[in-house]
Amino acid sequence: MKPAWIALYWVVTSLISHHRRHLLQTLFLLVGLVTGVGLWSAVQVINAHAQASYAEADQLLGAQASDWIRPLSDQAVSLQDYIDLRRQGFRQVFPVLERRLTTADNEPVWLIATDLLSLPTSDTETQTAATGAWLGLVTPPYQTWLPEGLAEQLGLNEGDQLALADGRVLPPAALQTQTQQGQRLFMDIGTAITVLDAAGFSYLAVSSLSPDERERLQAALPEHLQLIRNQQRLDLTELTQSLHSHLNAMSLLSFAVGLFIVFNAVRFSLNQRRETLVTLREMGVGVGTLTLAIGIETLVWSLVGASVGLSLGYALGLFLLPSVAATLQNLYGAVVDSQLLLQPSAWLLAWLITLGGLLLALAWPLWQQVRMPILAARSSGEHWLADATARHRLLLTSVILFGLALLIYPNLKQLWQGFAILALLLFGAAFALPSLLAGVLKALVRATPDSAWLWRWALADGLAQLPALRTAMMALLLALTANLGVETLVGSFRTALESWLDQRLAADLYIQNDRLDLSHLTAAPTPAWLAASHQRNGLTLRWQQRPTQIRGLDTGAPDALSLPMANSSGLERWYQGEPDVLIANEQVQHLAGVKLNDWVTLPSPAGPTEWQVVGFYHDYGNPYFQFYLPYQSVVQHWPNAAPQGLALWLSDTDESLVQAEQALIEAGAQPGDWFEQASIVDVSLRIFDRTFAITAAMNALTLLVAGIALLASLFAIHDQRLPSYAHWRSLGLHYREWLLIIATPLVVATSLTWLASLPLGAVLAWILIQDLNVLSFGWTMPLQWGLTPAFRLAGLTALVVLSTVLISLVRLHWQMPLALRKLGGNDA
Amino acid sequence: MNIRLIGVALLFAALEASAQDVYQVLRASGDGFEQVTPGRALSFPEDHLAHPEFRIEWWYLTANLTDDQGRDYGMHWTLFRQSLRPDGATEGWSSNQVWMAHASITTPEGHVFEERFARGGIGQAGVSNQNEPFNAWLDDWQWQAEGLEPLPATVDFSIGEQALNLRLDASTPWVLQGDRGYSQKSAAGQASYYYSQPHIQVEADYTNDQGDVIVLSGVGWMDREWSSQPLAPDQLGWDWFSLHLDDGHALMVYRLRREDGNHDLSGSWVTPEGTSTSLGADQIGIQAAAPVSLQLGNARGVTLPLTWRIALPEKSLSWEVEAIYPNQWLDTQFPYWEGPVRVSGSTGGIGYMELTGYE
Repeated sequence: MKPAWIALYWVVTSLISHHRRHLLQTLFLLVGLVTGVGLWSAVQVINAHAQASYAEADQLLGAQASDWIRPLSDQAVSLQDYIDLRRQGFRQVFPVLERRLTTADNEPVWLIATDLLSLPTSDTETQTAATGAWLGLVTPPYQTWLPEGLAEQLGLNEGDQLALADGRVLPPAALQTQTQQGQRLFMDIGTAITVLDAAGFSYLAVSSLSPDERERLQAALPEHLQLIRNQQRLDLTELTQSLHSHLNAMSLLSFAVGLFIVFNAVRFSLNQRRETLVTLREMGVGVGTLTLAIGIETLVWSLVGASVGLSLGYALGLFLLPSVAATLQNLYGAVVDSQLLLQPSAWLLAWLITLGGLLLALAWPLWQQVRMPILAARSSGEHWLADATARHRLLLTSVILFGLALLIYPNLKQLWQGFAILALLLFGAAFALPSLLAGVLKALVRATPDSAWLWRWALADGLAQLPALRTAMMALLLALTANLGVETLVGSFRTALESWLDQRLAADLYIQNDRLDLSHLTAAPTPAWLAASHQRNGLTLRWQQRPTQIRGLDTGAPDALSLPMANSSGLERWYQGEPDVLIANEQVQHLAGVKLNDWVTLPSPAGPTEWQVVGFYHDYGNPYFQFYLPYQSVVQHWPNAAPQGLALWLSDTDESLVQAEQALIEAGAQPGDWFEQASIVDVSLRIFDRTFAITAAMNALTLLVAGIALLASLFAIHDQRLPSYAHWRSLGLHYREWLLIIATPLVVATSLTWLASLPLGAVLAWILIQDLNVLSFGWTMPLQWGLTPAFRLAGLTALVVLSTVLISLVRLHWQMPLALRKLGGNDA
Repeated sequence: MNIRLIGVALLFAALEASAQDVYQVLRASGDGFEQVTPGRALSFPEDHLAHPEFRIEWWYLTANLTDDQGRDYGMHWTLFRQSLRPDGATEGWSSNQVWMAHASITTPEGHVFEERFARGGIGQAGVSNQNEPFNAWLDDWQWQAEGLEPLPATVDFSIGEQALNLRLDASTPWVLQGDRGYSQKSAAGQASYYYSQPHIQVEADYTNDQGDVIVLSGVGWMDREWSSQPLAPDQLGWDWFSLHLDDGHALMVYRLRREDGNHDLSGSWVTPEGTSTSLGADQIGIQAAAPVSLQLGNARGVTLPLTWRIALPEKSLSWEVEAIYPNQWLDTQFPYWEGPVRVSGSTGGIGYMELTGYE
């Protein structure tokens, strides 16, 4: 027993000693492992954190919020209604004001305000912590609390006052947070109401209610208020599922690219390690012992990779969290706290996935080496042959992967299937790449005339570099393709959103203050400055277990006449105001599965009502279902519907805007009650950009990992071929010529990879837009294919190639004298 | 007496700052508020209402009650007011007024209490305006008088599932404490306005957590006090007694425990007709029996004396005062013991005891 252990010890030591001798290879192995695991675990940590936040969605600012009290209309809750409830003993009720504000720089920010003294929290610690700083909130000049990240984003220091687009100024900033504040501003509700001139509260939150209390509260509510159960926890979990799947897919891709680096590093190390393995076998070490030793090495690396990777992932998670939080806030109104927690399950999962990856990228190649007959292992000719065989095997795998993708595609029904197809396509393409590169290089060698011997040498040398280069090129192809695909998706979405906003926000002015009675302005005879107006009404109800918006439109208004329709039949019936006809947003079509001319049943105070859907319109960014009905239909079926904003078209004169603003002020409006179209569009696009910031960040990081892969493989190639270079040098080759020989194959390979990524990226984008986006969000949009992102990526890739070649050149300069000396030694 | 007032200040101060800052806040911020001066005649019913120009103020009711089997019950209900700033803004969202209420119900079955806070200016808590029937409330805890005077009145409050509905009346006049309501606190001039009603007849309906209604009756004691700078900086805590004696007299006595071991004693002796005499330190004897340990929840405990000997040597009177139920600890932000006591000795009696500053 004992000798076996000792043997194993020595075998493991010899195996691992390799890493001490070849630090650079080890470094790259570690870099690949750590970046891959890091990116993957960053997203895992964020996802877990966000999901934990949803689980807290029945909490509000540290208090339980099992129910909401909202007006039947979407208007404000009055102070009197609140006080009446409190004085009847409903101490579970507390007031909340939530607002989206626009800063003077047109940045959107979210505000939440409550009365901390009325917060029904039993947690004394929260209470004391909150009350300690509470005085600052309620004492002039008052305070606006904000988390550090948000302060940085807005460029605010302690004591600075945030100016809003409407000219209002918030109280001085304090870098402080209330529980569950998220990336929002927090103020005392009294201050907020005063500063923002709010009509009342957004809603009253209700902490836990017993069935008896619920009944009593229900009975005590005045007619215009309703008690609604807080289903945010369920809603958010469901609504955000797609987003988290997207993030997961991107992180898995990063992990895969990281594995390519590991694989690359391991393959290079094989050149040196082959010697060790063969020597060990010649010394009589059994395959079993070697396998065990390889297993131990893999285990060690998995532990190192998982822990370092996870630490990096945690740091990266902290870095990415604000943009994910922004996305969740923008799209779903989900509040994610800025405190990131690392759960034990994350450690375990990170280790398992690292181990799995390493078995594939490290243990497998080593084990294969061990299993090779000793003689074959010594021969490099066999190795060359093995490379061609490997290429063919990869090509065969690629064909199988493509076939699988084609097989699944017609039955694409669920998001995971979509991601599976994407993975199959990406890896299929990556696996086909070495054969493509080899084919092109061979063809080029054949096509080069004998006189251009240097070029032929360069191209032929490419074939020699290929075994080393192919993994890096595969990783690069993955990163480039994913980048192009996602960039095209985001770009297409932005273009679609822009034209949709233009179409949808066709009016000049939007009045957001529904307390104002402007009927005297819009009723005939209208003033000269007013060309047209559109008053909407609406309410929110639940349909198909989701929050659903009902909106009443004036079918003759200018913007109603040019709705951004995706699909319709018999739309004129809607315009004619037929009583049982409505149009719905695309989400209803794609997520609820309603087809054109289907009938839908909507709940109304008088009971269920039946409606025929005659059209679907684009409604980007809305996570909810929405129905457009003629204004009067809404009034008739939902008498509690409230005004939902008034749009004004101004006459085409120079003074109309000034006159309009004058008239609004005379009608009691204040600056900030109305918005110009351009500023709404601007804010919407900013929100969009912020929403997709996480995508951009993930994209950049994936490309970075691919750049590292490229760098790693070039270093490896040069390390490996240093003796050849010394040979060439001794034959009288100039550095310039050497550069040509080294760089030409590299340029050919990267250019080919880049070219291959163009159609692949387009296919990826097409699937993302046509299928995944529709499955996830229910939005359709035209694909906007542009070369700009492709050229940008080409530039970036060229930069990476150039810098690696330069670094190699410098290293070569340093190492050449030693290499030449060695060469001399060998000859002697 | 001023003792409770300090408690109020401390309670509010706990809201404002950490414990170290409490004294500083209270010592420094008398500035800008109206000061308590001798010779100001209290005027009713106006002085029953809030005095927001003063820093702190309270309305305090305790009652000893029994059911038809003679079992002992008790209650206390307090509304505290504080002005955060001397800027006169009392109404609306920018109001500088903050309200706090404490209540407890003592029954043979146990002791429940609750602490509440509310901002002023929006109607959630407050005291009625002039020329309206007297009303003091925080959420649904409410003292509603029939007329401009606080008595006769009903007091309604609930703690969890238990509720108490009290009907109060008194036939004797208000007792103006100290010098016609001017109550001196220290040689440095700290003082408060202070008056009481020690002879309140109380009828009550108590609803227990099973929903049974139990009819109770007994005697109550109301204290009213307001000031701007009440705090003695070196105080450790106090022991306060309000006693209803069987012969119709009422006795209020307190001991202020100072850091240097010199305890301040003070009190008042009220006849059945409502005539009050102030008692100085040399007229009062007060002695605590051995402290006992109370086991609180979450593995904490507190040690404090629950049996006392109180004497008025000049009148040759002495009593033993004993807590009826030992655990009457209010684990609020500023924790203290407050509960009913039984009196024996020269005369029998009942009353309330408040002990603060024990750990």
